[in-house]
Amino acid sequence: MPASPARSRPPRLWWLAVLVFALVLPQAAPAAGGGNISVSDDRGRSVELSEPAQRIVSLAPHLTELLFAVGAGDRIVATVAHADYPDAARSIPRVGTAAQLDLEGLLAASPDLVIAWGSGSPGTALERLEKLGITVYYSEPGDFAGIAADLRRLGRLAGQPERGVREARAFLNAVATLREEFGERPEVSVFYQVWDQPLMTVNDGHLIGEAIRLCRGQNVFGHLDSLVPRPGLETVIAADPEAIVSGGPGEDREDWLEAWRDWNQLTAVQRDNLFFIPPSLLQRHTPRLADGTRMLCEALELARERRAGPRR
Amino acid sequence: MLGAGAVASVLSSVMLGSVNLPARDVASVFFGEGSALARLLVLELRLPRTLAAFATGGLLAVAGALMQVLLRNPLADPYVLGISGGAAVGALLTMISGLGLAWISGSAFAGALLSTLIVFGLAHGTGSWTPTRLLLTGVVVAAGWGAVITFLLAVRPSPELPGMLYWLMGDLAHARGNVLPWLTLIVIVGLALPLGRSLNVLARGPLQAAVLGVSVRRLEWTVYLLAALVTAVAVTTAGTIGFVGLIIPHMLRLVIGNDQRLLLPASALAGGILLTLADTLARTVIAPEQLPVGVITAMLGVPVFLYLLYRSRT
Repeated sequence: MPASPARSRPPRLWWLAVLVFALVLPQAAPAAGGGNISVSDDRGRSVELSEPAQRIVSLAPHLTELLFAVGAGDRIVATVAHADYPDAARSIPRVGTAAQLDLEGLLAASPDLVIAWGSGSPGTALERLEKLGITVYYSEPGDFAGIAADLRRLGRLAGQPERGVREARAFLNAVATLREEFGERPEVSVFYQVWDQPLMTVNDGHLIGEAIRLCRGQNVFGHLDSLVPRPGLETVIAADPEAIVSGGPGEDREDWLEAWRDWNQLTAVQRDNLFFIPPSLLQRHTPRLADGTRMLCEALELARERRAGPRR
Repeated sequence: MLGAGAVASVLSSVMLGSVNLPARDVASVFFGEGSALARLLVLELRLPRTLAAFATGGLLAVAGALMQVLLRNPLADPYVLGISGGAAVGALLTMISGLGLAWISGSAFAGALLSTLIVFGLAHGTGSWTPTRLLLTGVVVAAGWGAVITFLLAVRPSPELPGMLYWLMGDLAHARGNVLPWLTLIVIVGLALPLGRSLNVLARGPLQAAVLGVSVRRLEWTVYLLAALVTAVAVTTAGTIGFVGLIIPHMLRLVIGNDQRLLLPASALAGGILLTLADTLARTVIAPEQLPVGVITAMLGVPVFLYLLYRSRT
């Protein structure tokens, strides 16, 4: 289900609210530290632990990354395939893939907390885990603020409340800096390519859509209803975006961008505004998103500079 | 012999898993002892799944045997009448509309029954129904469901998509509860046994059956509804698992002959054995990764079936 889109809001006030929250939390956390830890997850359920989790199972690569970010990496006793960042994550035992869990292996790891991916983890399996009395936290960050919120909550669950708050603040700071730097720049029309066959992009409600807006990009398919629309090649050419940004098919493979060079009537091709951003920086809901967004903003800035420059 | 095989298959399925438990630990669980982990793995995960696998396999094989009598076509399988397609569309619609998991079983079952009624209504029509007509109607309706599935997946890729694909391939990880399949299996074998004699006659042809005093129309209706119901329960439990309903009745017919009174209960046992073993393989072959069991049954089923076909040529 599409996450509720983060509509534009008065950035200053919003930032202030986060700051106040961030300042209040560290004081609140130790007070609660003696007794129960209780946070509400991204489904609005209340997740309660009597003491910080010692044995955590993370059910998606980006969740593993979030846990490492709040300093709880050494408490992860099992994760799923493709959890490859940071390097230490590669040696954690696996219990299946994000979509297909090995329940036996998971239970054998005797976790006291399972971090599930709200829209990616298999529902039946999690239902069974909950029935067996295992505490499950559902994560589904839909925007920048959602990632910060997950960092804070995971920090508390894993006994690292200050670290969680610190990381959340650092992430939001990085985003705010980008907003300050690029928020007033002229718009650049952008096509973001998630996949090539079929062509897939994102709309404004998607987290990548939010990153594009932050960089003052104007997503040519942002208005579509579907979170991940599949536009035809014709519509992309008709939209004639000023820049084409792609993240695939691998961390360092730019094949998809090369394919666009055949369409040399496109403004993006004529001005060489074909930009590659490693998918793990922009497509994973982790603090590294700030780095990916910076790359995106700088790419679009380059596109602005090329407006004035000599033709080809 | 099949009984011993059944016990052996269930035992092996409970013993083996992606986590290595010594046989002694597993055994002690059944005497009310054993470590908490062993109890958890065996009683909460392996045993329910094994029982679901056995019952589903039995149901599929019985449904296959019934369909082959009904259509007088050895190539008939439980899905030939579009039942699995209807179930898949029902389940997909539930996922897309965002209703809870609890609704998926119900809507899959409704989809399966709807498909059954469509096929039967169309094939029945006003005139007489022939096996060929029923078969063709089923094949076309199944193709229609396939198109609807593709359409739904294309316009609304659901976050549950990977899970859905596993379900379409047949996967016991989604099996919840095994009371319904077991109940159905016991009832169906109990019901089919008294019908055995008439079924034997029907298998020789409707004319002969009519001459011998069997009410062909009513028998065919009964068999059709039973088979459809059984398939619907199986599909709802574990998705579309291929080949069990096709090869088990076939192989047994070669061994014990075409006496339905023997063939139906034997199919139930042999189908249960096959699916239990296949699911054990699916859980352990590339552990910790899990395979959908439909992949295993297809890999076993295709060569066996081709061999049977090849041999029957000479």
